[in-house]
Amino acid sequence: MNRLSRAKRSPASGLWKDGLKNAKMQRNLFLLLALTPAFGGYLLFTLYPNMLSVYYSLLNWNGISEPEFVGLSNFVTLFQDKYVWRALLNNLFYMATVPIAVISISLLLGYLLANKGYKGTSFFKVLFFFPNVLSTIVIALLWTFIYDGSFGLLNDFLRLLGVPIGNFYWLGEARTALAAIVPPYVWGGVGLYVIIFMNAMTTIPKSLYESAILEGARHMTILFRITIPLIMPIVRISALFLILGTLKGFEKQLILTNGGPAGATDVVGLYIFNLAFGTENHNYGYASAVGMLLFVILVTAKLLMDKYMPDRSVEY
Amino acid sequence: MREKRTIIDVVWWVLLIAWSMAILFPLLWVFYQSLRSNPSFFQDVWALPESLNWMNYKNAWIKYGIGNAMLNTLYYVGVSLVLGTFLTTINAYALTRISFKGRKLMWALIMLSLFLPGINALIPQYVLMRELHLTNSLTGLILLDSLGENVFFLMLLGGFMRSLPKELEESGFLDGASIFQVFMRIIFPLSIPGIVTVAIFKFLGLYNNFLGPFIYLSDQSKYTIGVSMYAANQMMQYTSDWVTMFAGVMIAMVPSIIMFMFFQRWIMEGATLGAVKG
Repeated sequence: MNRLSRAKRSPASGLWKDGLKNAKMQRNLFLLLALTPAFGGYLLFTLYPNMLSVYYSLLNWNGISEPEFVGLSNFVTLFQDKYVWRALLNNLFYMATVPIAVISISLLLGYLLANKGYKGTSFFKVLFFFPNVLSTIVIALLWTFIYDGSFGLLNDFLRLLGVPIGNFYWLGEARTALAAIVPPYVWGGVGLYVIIFMNAMTTIPKSLYESAILEGARHMTILFRITIPLIMPIVRISALFLILGTLKGFEKQLILTNGGPAGATDVVGLYIFNLAFGTENHNYGYASAVGMLLFVILVTAKLLMDKYMPDRSVEY
Repeated sequence: MREKRTIIDVVWWVLLIAWSMAILFPLLWVFYQSLRSNPSFFQDVWALPESLNWMNYKNAWIKYGIGNAMLNTLYYVGVSLVLGTFLTTINAYALTRISFKGRKLMWALIMLSLFLPGINALIPQYVLMRELHLTNSLTGLILLDSLGENVFFLMLLGGFMRSLPKELEESGFLDGASIFQVFMRIIFPLSIPGIVTVAIFKFLGLYNNFLGPFIYLSDQSKYTIGVSMYAANQMMQYTSDWVTMFAGVMIAMVPSIIMFMFFQRWIMEGATLGAVKG
């Protein structure tokens, strides 16, 4: 109150200007203090390393010795490296399986919860979401327990049903390991999309459903003819997220199999990681070159999906 | 939409129950086995326990150094959370409610992060951290994870702050308050709901961060809970101490469960916010 009246009583224009200048200086000081730590950290820890990785890809360097500039030779090696292509093929496998599984399960569960009004809907919602808050390490360890050959939950079940499974190590056999990593991803991912799709479905006007039901449409028809087309923009974004996620992700593979057995579950991200931080010889230069390849693939995938999965938002 | 229940509803109901079981059963199974003894677990996994071995939890706590790992995690998550959330809040304010030269450029540079896959930066980041002598240090990890910009959080908080009326600040300035005071006394308290959402997601991200601590921490005494559980599982092939491992995983799950119980609604609403915005 006191301050306010003083400010009003100062007629001298010099003082007023001083105040303005002060306010401006104060604002600049505030901006400096507010933005420097976070934006500086962003430049230093995110943008600068990302740009540096382009330069690294032209080096032959194990991280300790003197780096040697080798031009594009890492990229020449890259195209002849069959391990890169094997890893990429595995990425393609996860790209084709995980998003489809997650989206179809979430759409069905979301539809049931949003439209059927069953008892316990909110309980299901919360339960389905729960795995999404668990850490990667907990989910991965949980699934190593499930897949263990001697004492794993899966084999226990199969034995209980009388299947002569013996001590089959699901993650230790090349023919099952690749596919065995899909369920942990699906298990940990579905809940979020159930909620997303449910929210989208509840915005669809009830009248659309009512007329369909009056005309005798069945639930499957409603789901495929009304619900999914109407929430297509959200399904599309979800698919984009999931596809880019499976291209980038490697933590579950790292913990569950570390790419084994004999590279059967190796993915590009994990290949890069092991080249740089693994137990064998490190090669920062070559790892960065593979990183460039992954970057190009990610950007291409995004552009392709933007082009071929057009944003067909439906008006209603 | 009330309608008649038919036989097909039974199928749908079974489906919902089936997915619930797929989620609950492995968790309950691990919890149940964590209370048994190794010999009886090896003999018959389905057997009912003769006694409940709560000792397994104490053993896991000591054997895997969980007490120490929890303290490390608390330090890493706690400091990064407070520092990171404060910086994000003040940045959201500066970048959305104050117009200054270069603001557009800053936004453009921040937006660039959406196109960068994190993995490319891992190696140069590691070399940089090594040069700064910040490797094998929880404090180094805190600096790495709290100094930075996050488009999603900035947009979320910025959107929130934009909805506050301009008059609030103006009346503050008229009362002679400095911009620092306006931020701390007016903007900050009014943005609390947005800040809480950001803090919850930062907590989950930090607590669940495995790769960062795994790359940067080499001393076992500095391990966070995630890395120490990973190391414990690596040892399993030599020790085959299953029941203790189960107990350890249950303990590692407790903070997530507590978070989810308290902030369930917040988490579920916030999670969908990000997806709709793309």
